[in-house]
Amino acid sequence: MEDVFLEARNISKTFVGVKALDDVDLTIGKGEIHCLIGENGSGKSTLIKIIGGIHKADSGTIAIDGNVLSGKDAIESIRAGVQIIYQDLSLFPNLTVAENISINQMLETNQQFVNWKKVRETAKRALSEIGEDIDIDERVENLSVAKKQIIAISRALTQNAKLIIMDEATSAITSEEVKHLFTIILKLKERGIATLFVSHKLSEVFEIAENITILRDGKLLGVYPSHEVNEERLAYIMTGLNLKSEPYVYEATKFSETPLLEVKNLTKKGQYNDVSFHIKPGEIVGVIGLIGSGRTEVVESIFGIDQPDSGSIYVRGEEVAIRNPRDAMRHGIAFLPEDRLTQGLFDVQSIGNNIVITVIKNFLKRSKLLDLPKKKNCEVEWVQKLAIKTPTPKNPANSLSGGNQQRVVIAKWLATDPKVFILDGPTIGIDIGSKHTIHEIIRDLARQGMGILIISDEAQEILDNCNRGIVMSNGRIIREFSDSRTIGVDELLDIVARRVESGAGA
Amino acid sequence: MNIKRFFKRSESYVLLIIILFSAFITIINPAFLTLENLFDLLRSSSGTAILAIGVFLVLISGGVDVSCTTIAIVGQYVSVNLMIRAGIDSIWFIFGLSAFIGIVLGAINAVFVSLFKLPTLIVTLGTSSLYHGAMLEFFGTRAVNVGDLPQSVKSFGTFNVLTLPRADGTTYGLSIFFVILVALLIITYFVLKFTMVGRGIYAIGGNLEAAKRAGFNTRKTHFFIYTYAGFLAGIMGVIHLSLIRYSNPNYIVGTELGVIAAVVLGGARISGGTGTLTGTMLGVILITLLEKNLIMIGLSTYWQQFFIGVVLILGVSITYLQAKFQDGGRTIIVKDEE
Repeated sequence: MEDVFLEARNISKTFVGVKALDDVDLTIGKGEIHCLIGENGSGKSTLIKIIGGIHKADSGTIAIDGNVLSGKDAIESIRAGVQIIYQDLSLFPNLTVAENISINQMLETNQQFVNWKKVRETAKRALSEIGEDIDIDERVENLSVAKKQIIAISRALTQNAKLIIMDEATSAITSEEVKHLFTIILKLKERGIATLFVSHKLSEVFEIAENITILRDGKLLGVYPSHEVNEERLAYIMTGLNLKSEPYVYEATKFSETPLLEVKNLTKKGQYNDVSFHIKPGEIVGVIGLIGSGRTEVVESIFGIDQPDSGSIYVRGEEVAIRNPRDAMRHGIAFLPEDRLTQGLFDVQSIGNNIVITVIKNFLKRSKLLDLPKKKNCEVEWVQKLAIKTPTPKNPANSLSGGNQQRVVIAKWLATDPKVFILDGPTIGIDIGSKHTIHEIIRDLARQGMGILIISDEAQEILDNCNRGIVMSNGRIIREFSDSRTIGVDELLDIVARRVESGAGA
Repeated sequence: MNIKRFFKRSESYVLLIIILFSAFITIINPAFLTLENLFDLLRSSSGTAILAIGVFLVLISGGVDVSCTTIAIVGQYVSVNLMIRAGIDSIWFIFGLSAFIGIVLGAINAVFVSLFKLPTLIVTLGTSSLYHGAMLEFFGTRAVNVGDLPQSVKSFGTFNVLTLPRADGTTYGLSIFFVILVALLIITYFVLKFTMVGRGIYAIGGNLEAAKRAGFNTRKTHFFIYTYAGFLAGIMGVIHLSLIRYSNPNYIVGTELGVIAAVVLGGARISGGTGTLTGTMLGVILITLLEKNLIMIGLSTYWQQFFIGVVLILGVSITYLQAKFQDGGRTIIVKDEE
């Protein structure tokens, strides 16, 4: 690379005895679109904070345009043209677009008074530089996340950014908005402004990055031009695991033929219509469909969160009435909700308490007091069984990574000894490595005779882990496939998408 | 301002209620809508309005200050006592001293809020009890009667900047209190709108973490807010003294909820970041009108207290509902789960 903008050499950093970064290099050219990927805890955030001057490296140097930074404060990096856009965007929701864009520049130039005319001009100029047209008098709280992101990018431009670092920029916006963001980044490139994408999602990386730097456990694993690697290879490098897994095979002869759960003609007006399916012991059934296809609503009804208008539910051949989640649990149904943070986890409570919450009654002694040693044994048992990474179940649940949190939620439901386990988006927002582990846990449960229902919008996840599947669209089942091995990812995605188009036209 | 924008602002509704309420009172009692009554209302409510400015600033920054009334009475009672003991009869002296006490007590609040990062409501609840207790212990509990009051304070209370004759030959006028209020409003407006310190108050109320990252000195901003609120409370203490010509160390304390309600009524969000001075003043006017005229429309004054409670709870509910609304209405679904 002849025109280097930023060159980080041999960066190491230790936090209270933990080596966050170990001898890492990062080189970004002028106007280059670079991607920094790695799992949670791989040191990505630490590295960008060192580049931004927020942390000081223990050793190593950072040079911008050939000048080595002292690394003692953030202002130095900002003056050199480095702008970090954090995932939360650091905007002021109560202030106008104009002020949000201009405020950093005013602070940086140490102004004491506000010239409102200049504030508006600065904002207009920054927005027009990337070809955006947003009402500058609107309050930021009234804008969508994607628009807010554009405000944050414009704000970076007012400070003469030469390198914009975006931390997990695509996690909260739609795929349409991601495309739009990419066009903005290409415009920045034309102006000679480099972008560093920090991400743990692999698929979006290839679309835009020229080069990819991969970190794992604080170490540099390599720098690859994006046309020389594919997703599978990257996943392998990132996790060190060969994640190519064999599809799940259902051994029909091993268990009884009576379905553990069967629903017939389940209908709820405006949500889903005439849904019928069953799950036998040892089966993993997948449900795929876009958001709004009714997939989540159906399983919420099965679990008693919402009542269906008509239709019937059978558990082991007998019709049952499920009016609330307690009824569902009594019939041996467990449900892992889509949003584990707000619906599945008490995040300031201990890991152990989270695990036993569903079965806490089992630990009551005759005196109605808790049998603490028994409770503790149960907690330890599940932490070991699901290999939850924690020194003790006493630590709060929010001290865990996403993947481990998900294991806690799974353990919590397994403690109820369910016969049917419904998992809605079991691996959303989870690292590839942890994702693999969770899939293994699910397969093990099925092999022992549990019936599993997985809801996902990833075709690959469904095909790899389910022996059969159901495609939903507009509240109806539009296709069933009895053997996942007979259908390809592209074909499945086509079914999901094509039906949506024709459905929208009808 | 066009009509559509007028109705988008919550202040507009407060203004409409004030107009309707005033019209209603005027029908019952035509004496209400006279210049003399208006001047009298301005004289008696200027003090509350000045306190409200301070409460408003704190609310904008995302905090709540319940100690402003205590600071006002401590400023008033301590400085009038010192003034009498020292035999200094100067309105400048008592204003200066009371404002100074206000600044010092405000700075103590700021230390807890900013350095120790404690919740503002708890801090100001604690310090108000602490300040009041300390004052009663070290400066006594005896009220200062009008006879002992320095002459300068008494004449200041009756000083009018504009004097008009009544039909019977006596006069009435516009009190200097109102001029002080207007001056403080202009200064505060300028600070909030045109200085980086003022924008910093809005910024930390909107997103404290982002304010730090952007480079605001949030510690400095907190010190400014609480010392300025203390300063305003000190000024209010002296105005209150020259208005009622009597200093009782248990006065003013206990009216803070009314002041906070007035500010919330004026559209300032209790979660911080949003609100205007105009709205705050409209809120003060409405609360004052209610206070003075409930009897006239046949309701006991206890309704005032009741009403303040309603305003505060509604203010908090609206903030909560807005937050829930932005969440897309997605709250905890599994409500039956034990």
